[in-house]
Order: sequence, then structure tokens, then C-alpha cells
Amino acid sequence: MANILIVEDDKDLNNAYSIILSSQDHTVESAFDGQEALDKLKNFKPDLILLDLLMPIMGGLEFLQHFDLKVHPDVKVLIFTNMENSPEVAESYKLGAHRCIIKSWTAPHNLSRVINEALENSSTPATA
Amino acid sequence: MAIDPQSAILQAEEQRAQAEALFNSIGEGAIATDEFGRITRINPIALDILGYKESELIGEWFPKKIVAINEDDVTVNLIDRPITKAFLTGRSVTDKIFYRKHDGQRFPVMLTVSPILLADRPIGAIEVFRDITLEEEIDRMKSEFISLASHQLRTPLSAIKTYSHMLVDGYMGDVTPAQKKSLRTIIGATNRMNELISTLLNITRIESGTIVINSRMLRVERAAEEVIKELSLAASEKNINLSMTVQGKLATSVKTDNLILKEIISNLVSNAIKYTTEGGAVDISVRGRVKDVLITVTDNGWGIPKESHDQVFSKFFRAQNTVKRETTGTGLGLYLVKGLLERLRGTIWFESEEGKGTKFFFTLPKEQRQRSN
Repeated sequence: MANILIVEDDKDLNNAYSIILSSQDHTVESAFDGQEALDKLKNFKPDLILLDLLMPIMGGLEFLQHFDLKVHPDVKVLIFTNMENSPEVAESYKLGAHRCIIKSWTAPHNLSRVINEALENSSTPATA
Repeated sequence: MAIDPQSAILQAEEQRAQAEALFNSIGEGAIATDEFGRITRINPIALDILGYKESELIGEWFPKKIVAINEDDVTVNLIDRPITKAFLTGRSVTDKIFYRKHDGQRFPVMLTVSPILLADRPIGAIEVFRDITLEEEIDRMKSEFISLASHQLRTPLSAIKTYSHMLVDGYMGDVTPAQKKSLRTIIGATNRMNELISTLLNITRIESGTIVINSRMLRVERAAEEVIKELSLAASEKNINLSMTVQGKLATSVKTDNLILKEIISNLVSNAIKYTTEGGAVDISVRGRVKDVLITVTDNGWGIPKESHDQVFSKFFRAQNTVKRETTGTGLGLYLVKGLLERLRGTIWFESEEGKGTKFFFTLPKEQRQRSN
């Protein structure tokens, strides 16, 4: 199974995704802002990053500017946000995000499906 | 009676001075032209807004001297200028465009230009305009506020929904059927709250022109399938058969925004489920055509009364036969759908008969001309 880094400032949600993905035999690490994620990446090599956009200290877009996906083409980034149809989502695509998932719409089984599709599929990006 | 030439001149002078004072007193920018579009008068507010002296404008050709620009910063063609349209149609034209000041600065204006008609022949035009920079800024701030408030409201909802699903799916151990039923009620309520927030957010963005389109090539039936998965629970609760068919042999791929497309289909299918009696049927059909893809959402529900057909896409519209039976609903769904489709360059229409059902049709063009982000 895959290495997944969850970057989400809401502790309840971060914990929930961690339980769900760990139960599917993924190896999961959690970070609560972009800076903490960059620190974790020094020792953890993820196949996929589940990335919130609006976070304290360092948001998702700033994280993507530091963690250049052109340098890490094997890492899939799924944007996990509640800011649908927003300029921030458009910007995240420009920075190489694979898909965007709206948190409040997405049930755990759908999240798992999207993650598995992203891990299996290296085709062109699409919105969820 | 003989007219004293001296007093006739004085009277004419007085009338001219009165007209001048009247024109100069208009509370917004005002520019008058002759029948060729040459500036004959300009009031002090217009001079102030545009940053010109009167002597720099009088006698100049209005469309050339006052440059109009569209949202993409491209100069508006002469044929598309409101003053040209007013001359050609003989009617007042109201529009929002951008003008360039004397110093080159671009700013938004709301204007109305009217032809001055004498015996049905245009002898000139008068344009009244105002700088709407501040109004646009307030609109942008309002939109930002609603966007942020929506995000903040959704964060706790996401946790409620995720943990409720986790309980139902057994992540925290076994739950009884009665507990599962209660949890599904909680999930249903969070979904409704989400829909409300989403609707309000999207309407605000459409009305303020700040909605962002992220276009990608996609197959329409894939979006429809995802909507069916999301709404299958609501359909099964009313024992409604929810189906999807792909018709014809032409491609069903379009370059469009997946989230917005799903929002459109979801609104139409939710309505169909809501306004169909238990045991009914709702079908989504997708048909690729030469220039577009046609999507049809069909139900055999209550239908829309004929007298309400004209108002279906109006804001806050709810048909009388639905208000009596179904108390929930904002009357914003179809208004939103129409607004979203306009942004995707699509069209929508419907056929409905009370007591028999409704068919909503919409198209998405295969050639998209909108700007994508």
C-alpha cells in the first residue's frame, strides 16, 4: 500500500482521515500546517499528499511553492478543501495538484476511492 | 405681433444658459454629441472623472477620444460601443464597460446612452455615466466575506459528516440498525446544510462575476454517475429508481468545469427526487451531438403548473403545488443552475405537465470559448 501524508489543520478531520487510511493498510503521517509538512518530508517519502489549502503558519499554496511538484513528479497531491470554484483551487492546479476534493461533500468511502484512483492512475489531472 | 430682434436674441441666450446650467447640474458624468458622435458638451463631473479639460474634448470624436475597454483589457470595437448601438437602434443602451482616463488609468463605468431624436431622426446622443470602482470593490469584499464565512461554516460540518460516516461504516465498532438510521439522518441534515452554503456561495459569485471556471476535458456521463452515487441514498429513501443512459454514438466529451457541471446535474436531480412521489423514477440521459452534448433529466413527478412556467428560473421561485406538499426548499436552485450554465456557455429549457412529470434539458457546447483557469 502507499505512503500518505495528511496536511490538515483541523485536528478532528486529520485524526479521522488518519484512522480511515490506516485501516486500509496505508502508512500515514500527519502534519497540521505546510511548514510541519515540509519538516516531515525530510524523513518521509509519500506517494500521495492530502493537502488542505487554508491553514495557519503555512497554507497549501505556499507549501506547493516550496515543495515543487516538478522536482517530485511521482508524488500526487490531492487538494482537500471547502473552497470550491475558488481562485485558490485554480492556483493549486497551476502548481501541479492532481485533483480537488470538497471536504464537506466527501464521504470516507469516496475519499478512499479517489485516493486509490490517484495512486493507480498517473493520467492527466481532473477535478473530483 | 412684431418681435423685437434684440429681445429674441436675449431670450435665446437665456434658454441656452438654462440648458447649459441644466446639463452641468447632472449629478453624474454627462457627455453630449452631435449626430456624427462629435462631443458638443461635457459636464464638470465627466471632466473630473476622465481627467480632461473641456477644451481637450469639445469637437473631438467621442469613440476615439474616450477609449472603451472590455474586461480582458481589449479595446471595444466601434460597432460594439454603446453609443453606436444607441444610434443604430434609436433606443437607450445601458452597459458596464471600462474607460481609460487621460492619464491612461483604466476604471469601470456604468453608463446609459440615449439618442436625441428630432422627428424620429437622431441629431445626437447623450451619455450619462458614473465611476463604479468603489461599488466593484464593495462587491468583491462582500464576495470574499461570504467565501470565508462559507468555509468556516463548512469546517465543522465536514467533521460531523466524516465522523457520522465512520460510525455508520463501523470504524468505531458495531452500531445497531436504529443507531445507523439516526446517523443517516445526521448525514442527510449535513448534506442539506452543505447544499445551502454551496448555493449561497455560488449565487454570490455569479452575481459578483467572481466565479472561477476550471475547465478540463471530461465525459459528461462520468460527472452524472458521480452525482447518482451521491444522491442514491436520497432516492432510495423514497424508493425512487435513479438511472442513467448514454444515447447515440457521438462523443460525450466536453471541455468544462467538473465541479460546476456536477452542481448543475445535482440540483436538477435533487429537485426531481424531491418533487416526485414515492416509487417514481428519475432518469439522466446523456447524448453526444455534433456541436454539443445534450443532458436530459426526466422525472414522473408532480410537474410544474403551466401558469408558473415563465418564472421557473427566477430567484426564489417555488411552484404553488410544491409549496403545499414540500416545505423545504429555497427557490434558488434553478436560478443558480441557469446562472452556472450561462458561465459554461450552455443553455437550459424544460417541458412539464402537472401530474405527469418534468423534463429538464441542457446543453454544453463542445467548443468552449470561455476563459479557463
